[in-house]
Amino acid sequence: MNRRWIQIIGLTLSAIYAAAIIWLYATEPRTFQEVATGAQVAAGTYQVDQEKFNAALALFRREQFRAARDEWQRADSAQSDPKTQFYIAYAFYREGWGRVYNDQALFKLGVEAINRAIALSPTTLTVDDQNLQLHTAAELKAELEQGTQRSWGDVNPLKVLRTRK
Amino acid sequence: MKTDELVLANNKLRNQIIVSYLVLPFIFLTVALLGGLRVSSDNHAFMFLPPSLITLILSVLLVLLLVRGGLIDIRSMIAGINPPMTNVAHVWLLLTLFFASAQAFNSVLPERGLLHWLFSFFFLWTLWNNQFSSFDARRLLRSLVVLFGTAFLLKHLLLSSLYASDGTWLKSLTSTLISSVTLGTFDTPRFAASTGYISFFTLGLYMVGLILIGTVQNSTPSRNLPMISGNS
Repeated sequence: MNRRWIQIIGLTLSAIYAAAIIWLYATEPRTFQEVATGAQVAAGTYQVDQEKFNAALALFRREQFRAARDEWQRADSAQSDPKTQFYIAYAFYREGWGRVYNDQALFKLGVEAINRAIALSPTTLTVDDQNLQLHTAAELKAELEQGTQRSWGDVNPLKVLRTRK
Repeated sequence: MKTDELVLANNKLRNQIIVSYLVLPFIFLTVALLGGLRVSSDNHAFMFLPPSLITLILSVLLVLLLVRGGLIDIRSMIAGINPPMTNVAHVWLLLTLFFASAQAFNSVLPERGLLHWLFSFFFLWTLWNNQFSSFDARRLLRSLVVLFGTAFLLKHLLLSSLYASDGTWLKSLTSTLISSVTLGTFDTPRFAASTGYISFFTLGLYMVGLILIGTVQNSTPSRNLPMISGNS
């Protein structure tokens, strides 16, 4: 093998290695598991754990929102699936919703989750689930943001008549 | 007899080319990767600390010192008479050396507080003074081993032992006293013991890289290295 080929191979391999190092410093994985998941996301082979996702959905439908969120977070450990992030945001909305007042902390976490979902989705995110009243990420985001804002309408006694979506 | 000598010379040249273009970039990139790696003492999670501005400045001074000390012959590494691919490979090698040096400093500098600036100042002072001293490659390597070795001992043995969470009551008392007197400016983050091992391995690898550069350069009769001369 001549010098030129060794130079080309050395440059190519070390450039790939350097790119991997930059990626590690940019994504800052905390464990080897996160390194593996991050590599799957980068390679485009990442998939949500469907079994855990379904288990979380069952919990969500039984109104066990906190347990559902935990399960969804385990199903999508890289926080890279828009649909799962949408459901997590929906779980924050339903748990935080109140007839008299909303839980601000949960709604803010919901806004963060729905923003993640919107950022991850290349097109308009729509979830076709008959058990939900809000099917698009934009609708859910508007509802969550509205819940975190304070206005004179909050003291309206008729507010107790509104329903959770 | 002449054929045997030719084969030996050919093998030597081939090994030098492999070391120059394959092994050295990988060694320096590994140093760049591990130099900023810390392991949290609480949950053993990885923490990746990119090189700070001061480590980049120290790295510039160190690379200049390596050039002045004769460990790197930059004029023949990057020259108009070399083939373009050889120049590119040498620039890349120098880049990896620069970032490896920055991360080697990152590995032995305390992460924050007054100690970070004290260590940085001493490094800066030493490297600046050395710019005006007469060095050969061997003396320079010895000097660097002592410089990094001292910083390693101070940070990963003395300081980490003083601020260890599982230390004796005397250590806890001393660290609390120091923190109180200095209003917390001497506080350093606590890391798992494996951080010290990673740093030791990183510095060892960095020194091996520097020794290899020196070996490749000194093993040829002329100043033109096989990695540097570029004519195949």
